[in-house]
Amino acid sequence: MSLQLHVWGPGLGLASVDAECLASIAFFSRFVDAGEYVLIQSSPSAVPTHQLPALYDVNTQSWHSGFPSITHHLQAILILPEVQQQPTRKTRSDAVAYASYLAQHALPLITLSLYVSSANYTTTVRPAYSAILPFPLGWTEPPALRAAMVRRAEHLGMSSLDADADAEREENAQRAEAAAGWVQVPRGLLARKRGVGELLAPEQKARIRLEGLAREVLDVLAAVDWDGQDGAMQCLAWAYLALMLVPRVPRAWLRETMMRDYEGLCAFVERSMERWFVDEVQALPWSDKKAQDGVVRVGGRFANGLLGDVPGLGQAWRRWLARRRGRGALKMDGEGSGELLRIAGAGVVLVTSALLWRKIPQFGAPVQIWQREIPSFLGIGAAGLMLSGLAGSDAWI
Amino acid sequence: MAATTTPPPWQWPIPRPLQYLFDAVPLRVYEATELPARSQPATSDTLPSLYVFATAEDARRGRPSFNPGCLKWQTYLRLAGVPFRLVASTNHASPTGALPFLLPPRSTTSCSTSPIPSSQLASYAEKTHAVSPSTPLSVVANIPSSSVLRSEAYQSLVDHPLRNAWLYALYLDRRHTSLLDTFYTGPASSSGLVRATLRRQLRHAAEGEILKMGSYLSGAAAGTAVVDGDRVVREAGEALEALAGVLAESGTGWFFGAEGPSLFDCAVFAYTFLMVEYMAGPGEKGSREGDVWLGDMVRKAGEGELEGHRVRILRAAFGEGS
Repeated sequence: MSLQLHVWGPGLGLASVDAECLASIAFFSRFVDAGEYVLIQSSPSAVPTHQLPALYDVNTQSWHSGFPSITHHLQAILILPEVQQQPTRKTRSDAVAYASYLAQHALPLITLSLYVSSANYTTTVRPAYSAILPFPLGWTEPPALRAAMVRRAEHLGMSSLDADADAEREENAQRAEAAAGWVQVPRGLLARKRGVGELLAPEQKARIRLEGLAREVLDVLAAVDWDGQDGAMQCLAWAYLALMLVPRVPRAWLRETMMRDYEGLCAFVERSMERWFVDEVQALPWSDKKAQDGVVRVGGRFANGLLGDVPGLGQAWRRWLARRRGRGALKMDGEGSGELLRIAGAGVVLVTSALLWRKIPQFGAPVQIWQREIPSFLGIGAAGLMLSGLAGSDAWI
Repeated sequence: MAATTTPPPWQWPIPRPLQYLFDAVPLRVYEATELPARSQPATSDTLPSLYVFATAEDARRGRPSFNPGCLKWQTYLRLAGVPFRLVASTNHASPTGALPFLLPPRSTTSCSTSPIPSSQLASYAEKTHAVSPSTPLSVVANIPSSSVLRSEAYQSLVDHPLRNAWLYALYLDRRHTSLLDTFYTGPASSSGLVRATLRRQLRHAAEGEILKMGSYLSGAAAGTAVVDGDRVVREAGEALEALAGVLAESGTGWFFGAEGPSLFDCAVFAYTFLMVEYMAGPGEKGSREGDVWLGDMVRKAGEGELEGHRVRILRAAFGEGS
């Protein structure tokens, strides 16, 4: 039990909802004895490296994040005979190239299918994350992750799948129109145009383009002989392909395209799943506890997530946190912390000036008030001095 | 009849004082000012102009651009034997917001004179070659069809690990701040304040670009994705090794067994050339322990295949020795 593998938890019918986590689990399940490691459900905010999958080696007390560094570390500390057959130069080059290709091209495809598409996200992916994360975190982390994923697939130009954003845009447009026009037609009286396009889901409208995008990527992947690649590479490819094929989503264009035209890839996914996992997802050595489940820690992560969403301040806050974490690695000077300081400084200046403004007497106010001088002992010369000494030191002031 | 001369429509009489004023100070329309002299060759040429990021001096002498995206197409067009003139520019000049683009000569009647974005440059080169076979033999080869799909996987190595390493080194690595100033912030403004702001904006943009890549995504849920410089450099090293490996495997000296340099070769050259040219490090005595320089990594990748490849393309496209 000297190895703890922190991963996103199971969901979508697979051992993990994230591709690299899934690949790591497959790698462990294939090459490491079940007694030697334990899987811990986690989220990036719970591990010190802020990245999943993360491996904690109890013996060396070190953290390793990301699939490549995990497999690298495992090969350094364990004897893995199946993996360690000397790879040729070609296999090694291919492994690097295809790993990069999967991350750059297969991931955006998965993103389109699982995160950008509103229907798939709300019915399957969001519930999966809610089940994995402890209570309040389901409100902060999945939206942040989705936003990042959507940015990742932006260049494919398929944002129309995001019906939520579409509805919002439409509503804004209607509101602007209503504000500009001087006759307001109640919504109920508006004639709605119901063409064929209205009845189709965004995925159906964009079906041809989606299939084209999928084909571009899957053509490249289908041309590879995956059984001839080295073990880590097989696990990685399987994880990405499994996330395309296995999840049962309502708008299953990716799954359908794969099943129809890429039988080889489907066979590879199913064959490997049967061979590498003993029987069910439950048979993996999951730990009972979730990582850092204490109320305080979860509360802290939740507060952090909330703070990151505050308009204006959130960006600076995140950047400051990131800088603080990464200063050593990044070799950057304190540019980011300056920003947070500036925002804080601006806030202080604003509040102080508001207070001062209220304190400053208004010049030329219409009503001037004079008050009678409060009688004191000082008014009556030397005797007054004496008396005030008796009365207390306050009168000196 | 007098019907042919219709009386002019009735006008308000001009008040006397105004009349005097306009008589004293008559309205006069000046001639349009001539375009500045330096803009003349940009348009009135018979050669197409390629707009790239470059210093004015380099552009005049046709030397390689310092932007990898521009250099790739500059190399490609030179190898393809398309004659063109280089114009130093910025992306504000581009209709699409991105450089490079090619402006066809105004004298041609056959093609339209609308600018050609980089995505259509390859087909433009082919068309030009077909129209005037007298241009020097096109040396741009195609990758054999059996390797096209494989080359796409390797293309992702150029597009991501190498690009990230270049972005990281140029924008985020403080050792190259002076380079960043020479390339981008210096020509933009002479004011220190503007330069500093510009530098900051460029840095944030570069950081965002690197963070958008795959494995940083999971940090997004934690809200604190941060660029890990060592990792960027390590990934670039692996990518260079892999490219050197596939180049060695090819045997012809060009990627994927092609007969001559292809577009893929140009893309790789754009990064290897710039890394060796500007980020080669101070040599043996000047370098500190643990410092990694991208140029050195290119030179040492594999058994020096990439360095040989760089020299070959440099000679073929720009006629320069190593």
